[in-house]
Amino acid sequence: MDNEVYRFPRERLDALIERLARDYRVVGPVKQGATWRWADIRPGTAIALDYPTTMLPPRQVFAPQREVLFRFRRGADGHFDFEEPAVERPVALLGVHGCDLTGLRVLHSFHESSCRDRVVPGRLERSFVMGLACWVPCLAESFCRDMGSLEAESPASLYAWDIGSVLLLKVMSARGREILQDVTPLEAATAEELVNWRRRLRVRHEAFPAHLKFAPEKLAVALEAAESDIIWDANADRCLSCGRCNLVCPTCTCFDVCDQATLDGSDGARLRTWTGCQVPGFSRIAGGHDFRPTRTQQLRYRIFRKGKYMPERYGLVGCTGCGRCTSHCPTHISIRDIFRQVGGAP
Amino acid sequence: MPQVSMIPEPCRVLEAAPQNGHDVHFVIEVPKKVFAPDPGQFVMVSLPGIGEAPFCVSALPGEGTAEGTFELLIRRTGRLTNLLTRFKAGDTMYVRGPYGRRVEWEQFEGSSLILMAGGLGLAPLRSFVRRALFRRDAFRRIDVLVGARSPEELLFRDELLTWKARRDDVHVRLTVDAAREGWGGRIGVITTLLEGFNADVEDSYAFLCGPPVMYRHCLRKLLAMGLYENHLWLTLERRMRCGIGLCGNCQISGHYLCQEGPLFSYRELRTMREAV
Repeated sequence: MDNEVYRFPRERLDALIERLARDYRVVGPVKQGATWRWADIRPGTAIALDYPTTMLPPRQVFAPQREVLFRFRRGADGHFDFEEPAVERPVALLGVHGCDLTGLRVLHSFHESSCRDRVVPGRLERSFVMGLACWVPCLAESFCRDMGSLEAESPASLYAWDIGSVLLLKVMSARGREILQDVTPLEAATAEELVNWRRRLRVRHEAFPAHLKFAPEKLAVALEAAESDIIWDANADRCLSCGRCNLVCPTCTCFDVCDQATLDGSDGARLRTWTGCQVPGFSRIAGGHDFRPTRTQQLRYRIFRKGKYMPERYGLVGCTGCGRCTSHCPTHISIRDIFRQVGGAP
Repeated sequence: MPQVSMIPEPCRVLEAAPQNGHDVHFVIEVPKKVFAPDPGQFVMVSLPGIGEAPFCVSALPGEGTAEGTFELLIRRTGRLTNLLTRFKAGDTMYVRGPYGRRVEWEQFEGSSLILMAGGLGLAPLRSFVRRALFRRDAFRRIDVLVGARSPEELLFRDELLTWKARRDDVHVRLTVDAAREGWGGRIGVITTLLEGFNADVEDSYAFLCGPPVMYRHCLRKLLAMGLYENHLWLTLERRMRCGIGLCGNCQISGHYLCQEGPLFSYRELRTMREAV
C-alpha cells in the first residue's frame, strides 16, 4: 500500500463527504470567527483544508469536554436505576495534521495501556481519519518537526497532500481504498504532479526550522537532569493557573466527575468534564492537603508528564509540538522554550 | 480488556455507629457482584445527584465481619460525606469496586508485623489488623501502634481495647498528641511509640497509614531502626474521580495510585516526586 498515491480532484471532496456520511458522523475543520474548530460537516459545508490549526485538538471528538457517563432515575422502590448512553455513530475526521494524528495515537495508547475503559479506544478504532500534510508551520509556537510529528501519517486511512492543482491521496488501509474507490475511480497522479509533489517534499524542512538539539526520546533524560528549580520557578512565576494549556493539549486526558440532577434529585446524570493539572485544587484531597500546592510543582508536573511519564508508561512522548499550549497561554509560557532550557537549543 | 462500568450498585447500610462528632462507622451489605477486597483496596461510594468519593475498606467480608458485609469509616468533610454520615441502618449507598492494588500476603507470612495508624489512618489500617488476626498463625509478633490528636479522636476504641486484651497475640500501644485530665494513657506523637521498640525489625514488615507528616517522621525512624525499604508499606491518599486509571487526578510521577496503589512499598515510593 506504501506507494499507492492517487490524484483526487478537490471537486470530489463533497462526494467523499457524502460517501462517508453513510457510515460516519463526518467532522472537519471549519472557520468560526477568528479561529478554526472541528465541526460536523455535510456536502457543501465550507471545509477549510487550508486551516492553520484548530483551537481545540481533535480529542474533543473522541473524549468530549462534557460527556454523560450514565443517567440515573429513582424507581418506584426508591432505588436508582442506571442507564449508560447508547453507542454513538463512528466519526470520520477529515484534514488532520501530523501533530494531531500523533495526538490521536497518544490518546489511543493511553487508553489502551492505562485503564480498563474501552469507550475512547473503541471510538478511535471505529473512526475513519483522513490526514493532511502541512507545508508551513501553522503557529509561530509550533515545533512539530522537532517532536517528529510533522511527517506522522498514522492512524490515518487516507493521507492527503494539497499540491495546488489537485490533492494527492495516499491509501493507508484497506478501508481507505474502499472508501476512495466508492467515490472516484483510482487515478494515478501525472508525471508532472509527482515531480511537483516530490520537489515540495524535499524542500519542506526549510519552512520548519529546528528548535531543539535533541531527539524527543532524549527528553525524559534531559528533564531528569534539570533537577534545579530555577527553570521551573522562572516559568511558573508567570503562570495564572488558568488551565488553558491543559484544555488545548491534544494529549491531556484528565477529567472531573460531577452529578447533575433535577431539584428533587430523582432524575439526572453523572458527567465527566475536562480538567487539568494546572487548575488549582487538582491535587487537593479531602481535608485540604495539597500534594502539589505550588505553581512550580504544577508546571513541572505537566512538563514531566508530557516528556517523561507518558513515554515511560505508554511508549509515546506526550508532546506533539503543536504549539497550542504556548499560543493560548495568556502569559506565553512556552513548552518549546522549557525544552530548550532543559535540553539546549540548536 | 473488558469494559469496566462506572455504574455503582445499591448496597444497604446494616449498622451506623457514630464514633465522635464527625466520624461514622458503617456495616454495609456487599454488592451482588463478586466482592473480595484485600487490605488497602478501596471502593467508590456515591449518592446519585450528589457525588462520588473513594473510601478504603476498613473491614473485609469474612474477616471478623458478619457474613456478606464489609465496613467503612466515613468522616464528614464535604458535601457527599455530610450526607453519608447522616445515614442510618436501612439506607442505601451506591458502591463500586473494589479497586486498587492487591498485594500477595504470602510474602509476609512467617514474619512479624508492625501496624501503625495515625488519626483517620486507622480506618484502612484496621483491615490489615483484622487480616493479621484472622490469619494469626501465619505471623510471628504483631504490634499495633495507634496515634490520635486527642482521646476523643481515637477511632474504634472498643475494638482497640479488645485487641489490647489479647496480650499473648498482639501488642497494642496507643498515644495521643494532647489530652485533658482523666486520660491515663500515653501523651506524645506517634513516633514516640517507636522509642525503645524492640521488635526483630530485620524480619518485620511495617504497614503505615496516616497523614503525610506522620509518614515523613515514621519512615526516618523505621529505616534508622534497620527495617528494609521493601518491608515498609504505606497507604497513600489522593483525589480520585474514576478509580480505574482514567481521570488522572491520582497520578504521582508516572504512577496511578488507583491502579498501582494506594498501597506502596517505600522502595517504590522513595524516588517519586511529591509522594507524601
